[in-house]
Amino acid sequence: MSEVQWIWPAWLCWAFPFLGAILTPLLAKIHPKVRDYGAVFFSMLGAAMTAMMIPRIFEPGQINNQLTWITLPGAPVLSELKAGVIVDPLSIIMANVVAIISFLIMVYSIGYMKGDPSLTRYWFFMNLFIGNMLLLVMSDNFIQFLFGWEGVGLCSYGLIGFWYKDSKNDYLKCWVGEGKEAYPPSHSGMKAQIVTRIGDAALLIGLFMIAAYSGTLNFIDLQNGAINKVPLWVLIPAAILIFGGPVGKSAQLPLMEWLPDAMAGPTTVSALIHAATMVKAGVYLVGRLFPILYLATWSSGTPNELINFFYLVAWIGVITAFVSATQAMASGEIKKVLAYSTVSQLGYMMLALGVAGSTAEFFLGYAGGLFHLMSHAIFKAALFLTAGAVIHASESRFMRDMGGLRKTMPITFWSMALTAFSLMGIPVVFSGFWSKDMILETPLVAGQYPIFILAILTVGLTCFYTVRMLGLTFFGEKSHRIKKLESEGHKIHEVSPVMWVPYALLAAATVGFGVTGYFLKDWFEELAHEYLSSLIGPLSGEFASKGMPLDQATMITIVSSLAMLAVGALPAYYIYVKRARDPTKMTAEGTTLGRVWKFLNNRWYLNRLCYVVFVYPVIGVSGWILKNIETQVIDRFNYALAGTVTWFSNGFRKTHTGILTYNVVGMLVGFTILLILLARIAMG
Amino acid sequence: MIDTNNLLLQTILVPAIVSVLTLAVGGKLKKNTGWIAFITTLYVTGIFAYITLQLFSAPPGTTLEAAYEWGPYIGQFSLLADGLSAPIALTIAILTTVISVYSIAYMEHEHGIGGYFTLYLLYTAGMIGTVLTTNLAAFFFFFELMLLPSWALIGIWGTGEKEKIAFKYFMFTEVGALALLAGIVTIRFMVGSFDIFKIASRTTEVSLSVLTAIAVAMLIGLFIKMAIFPLHTWLPDAHAEAPTPISALLSPAMIGIGGYAAIRILYTGFPRVLANWQFTTTITALALVTLVYGGMMALAQDDIKRLLAYSSISQMGYLLLGIGSLSMIGLAGATLLYVSHGLSKAILFMVAGIFIHNLKTRSIKSLGGLGSKMPYAATASLIAFLGLAGTPPLIGFWGEFFIFTGSMYTGFAGALEPDITRVVITGLAVAASVMTAAYGLWTIRRVFFGPVRENLGEAKEASWLMIGPILVLTALAVILGVYPTILSSIIGPVVSGLASAVFGA
Repeated sequence: MSEVQWIWPAWLCWAFPFLGAILTPLLAKIHPKVRDYGAVFFSMLGAAMTAMMIPRIFEPGQINNQLTWITLPGAPVLSELKAGVIVDPLSIIMANVVAIISFLIMVYSIGYMKGDPSLTRYWFFMNLFIGNMLLLVMSDNFIQFLFGWEGVGLCSYGLIGFWYKDSKNDYLKCWVGEGKEAYPPSHSGMKAQIVTRIGDAALLIGLFMIAAYSGTLNFIDLQNGAINKVPLWVLIPAAILIFGGPVGKSAQLPLMEWLPDAMAGPTTVSALIHAATMVKAGVYLVGRLFPILYLATWSSGTPNELINFFYLVAWIGVITAFVSATQAMASGEIKKVLAYSTVSQLGYMMLALGVAGSTAEFFLGYAGGLFHLMSHAIFKAALFLTAGAVIHASESRFMRDMGGLRKTMPITFWSMALTAFSLMGIPVVFSGFWSKDMILETPLVAGQYPIFILAILTVGLTCFYTVRMLGLTFFGEKSHRIKKLESEGHKIHEVSPVMWVPYALLAAATVGFGVTGYFLKDWFEELAHEYLSSLIGPLSGEFASKGMPLDQATMITIVSSLAMLAVGALPAYYIYVKRARDPTKMTAEGTTLGRVWKFLNNRWYLNRLCYVVFVYPVIGVSGWILKNIETQVIDRFNYALAGTVTWFSNGFRKTHTGILTYNVVGMLVGFTILLILLARIAMG
Repeated sequence: MIDTNNLLLQTILVPAIVSVLTLAVGGKLKKNTGWIAFITTLYVTGIFAYITLQLFSAPPGTTLEAAYEWGPYIGQFSLLADGLSAPIALTIAILTTVISVYSIAYMEHEHGIGGYFTLYLLYTAGMIGTVLTTNLAAFFFFFELMLLPSWALIGIWGTGEKEKIAFKYFMFTEVGALALLAGIVTIRFMVGSFDIFKIASRTTEVSLSVLTAIAVAMLIGLFIKMAIFPLHTWLPDAHAEAPTPISALLSPAMIGIGGYAAIRILYTGFPRVLANWQFTTTITALALVTLVYGGMMALAQDDIKRLLAYSSISQMGYLLLGIGSLSMIGLAGATLLYVSHGLSKAILFMVAGIFIHNLKTRSIKSLGGLGSKMPYAATASLIAFLGLAGTPPLIGFWGEFFIFTGSMYTGFAGALEPDITRVVITGLAVAASVMTAAYGLWTIRRVFFGPVRENLGEAKEASWLMIGPILVLTALAVILGVYPTILSSIIGPVVSGLASAVFGA
């Protein structure tokens, strides 16, 4: 069967990175360079495997291949779990985005992490991550998916806390935050794991609820009707709980606070895990579940209450997008700006999928979400990699220690600028423009205008913080720090090719996909239409969407995003690029702008809220219970019990006098009683 | 199939007989007496590994049985290795084997080592006997045989107020054992036999309240052993002050036996009691309370051994949730959780022992930054805590996953209509599992990450006698996590029969 040619890359693409991870400690014993190139080699193999599957995108159906994995004989549900892979357009696109960008970042790592004493651990976790991420993407059932999902969470934990010694000397390199909210790497890693675990707990509860009825956790079986065995009053909370997993993993409200602090990890980690791939896993899961839940909502023609699930996804997406964009505007660390930006853009993807599910023209939103996922991965990875270069150069994570780097680091500047333009959505030649506009059109077509308004406002905010970031980093005067470094003899210079080639390639890709964007956009729509129709099947009933026709939506989107571009970018240009005004004076204490800035800089106090409401009380209550109940009540009770018994026996002991007279009298009395009893028994 | 080679009897008798030998040569060999214990327990492990593989390749539902004539009133001394008892016995055997090696290093400076290993082997025999036997009189005998050596071990080689704590441990467990005995004797009266398998069929005329009373009496004994809230107070002291290799057996191996016994006795002998909604829901609620309480207390600890002790209480909460799930999936999960908790907790106690032995401290506050000094210990500890928290691809994931699935399944699709109470309790339990991750990762952070404390500058990885056992268990946790079928496929048929007795045929 010609299917075989697509199946073995599907298994090997994640097996090879796993193999690379396991071999890394052994290769390290041979020679450090063998270890380094070996690690990159295995990630390249993974990318080669995913690339081999690309031709299959053009056929919409799904290929499924399974192996028996675990048996629990006699179980009413889940008695046999099979491991398997799905090869379809969704998994192929996602796998390639992951594998190719991973490979480029591994190459960049050779330069960026040079000289680090713990490189073996680094390569191990990076390859383990890539393997788990691809495992997650290719899985055909929830449990195998969970293995990958938790696996990437573990690698994220290990890599965020990579420099776990928390040395104060590295404050400018790998701590995150300032003042009371300054966190060392080990804290950030732990925080990431625990916050995402809350989402995972919700995900698990939802899974259990579904499995109890459907009997299977295989995506294809669920699609083919097993989902209909779940009654609606169970399916709705289950779907919402399952969405908790993506909320955690993709850092949406209310579980977003771990991602900005994850910037304590090496920049390669931030680029790979927290921009391009792992955080997209949540979006991917929603995309994978989309046909299943869409069918459950719309199969009768008019939508049932499950549509609320999609509304929830859309609203959480758009509110997150807005809130985190505001936080990006006021952040002083370059990686944090990009982190908030990532959260915001992920919100856009959730928005797209959510709106798609709540309307008849689902393919537009689905295609938009998918296109933006790919588009964002490319430009955000590049933005992080270039940020790594400037952090390296200025030896600080704060933008106030940068400035004027345009002339000394031209390749980095242009790579960052081009990809930043893609993020802003500057028309026509940047892929970000096409993908973002697809997302913006979706709520208009679906008739959900409030969502559109919030989304378009966020475009303005995006433009502002992006231009601000470019301005502070590359324009203006050189900062004190840079001047000091240069006076000490460290000349600021462009990075080595092993570092700039990857991000230059990504910048070229974002332009390439932009130039072909007009055709790409149509292609994605067609693909989504065919792919989803083949899964969902023909939907009966007549339903017209409540929004506006597509060309009208496109027109409005283009005009309003251009307007927002101006509204956002021009003031930022004025203040941060031309340096016509001093932003510190504008946001001084006491001014309105200053108060706004403080609120945004403090992350809407959401982070502090988490600690005050959840962390400190739990620890405090536990300690209180330990002191006052466990020790005072329960332990005391034991000793009270022992004391009572001792009191009793001490009292009773007094009858044992040891005086012969009393003993004899006692014996005689007892003997007499016995005789009387015996006589009574004998007499009947 | 019948145990014609008396393999099962050997697993109990051989350690018991060798224990005399160790007492004799202990004075001369000193710490190397441990190698005798190692060989013995390795032999026992070999037997159980062989049995497990046999069961795995045999048709589903195969068992290995042995019965010996014992006495006219007591009945037969019957032993059974099936899909439920074999994994548990194997875990106990593996733990006793690796910990005997660990003991050689840990106890090297202690006195009376011969006596230590004698008691160790008797303790092993007691635990294995408890798991294998299906005669309630023999069960009681082995239950006490577990108690006495461990009492002596804590009282002689323990730390802190060891005599008092050993006494408290003894009294608590003994009171529980007496409650258990009361139940057993009553059953003998009613059923005419000590054989577990005869109880259900011969008590069909007995009223439900009487049966429930008997079950409760027996459960009091078993719950004290499992340290279910509020009968748990003996455990933190006992496990914290016991010599660490014994803590590594008390916690992982022994307290779970209470859970195993609960499954075996309740489901085989008292299915009508389990069908009672109030009874089972009480158990489920108790499980949730234990789970949460243990977790919260663990969060509040500075003494690392006490933290692990409270963590064990919390894990027993999970086990109890599986027991009360009335679903074969939940029971299978409970068995797998026993295995995973056994492996993880043994690893963690052994690492704690490394701190005590090499760094002379148990306080988390005085540790820090040890990851770079002790990479193997750090990795093993992380894997162990992740296993407790139910992270794939470790065996702990499967234990918790199946427990929750089973309980939820019963809640939604079980014989009673949608049981919302059960669903809510199970949901809360899943949410509370975040706490396990929290105390685990927080401990890892405080102990292994951050800057190295000045007074710990000389710290280094422990000797192979201590790290080797830890790594063996870590590897097992991963292998079984990726491929749990070797256990799940033999557990399934047995627990399927047990669970269906409650509502079904």
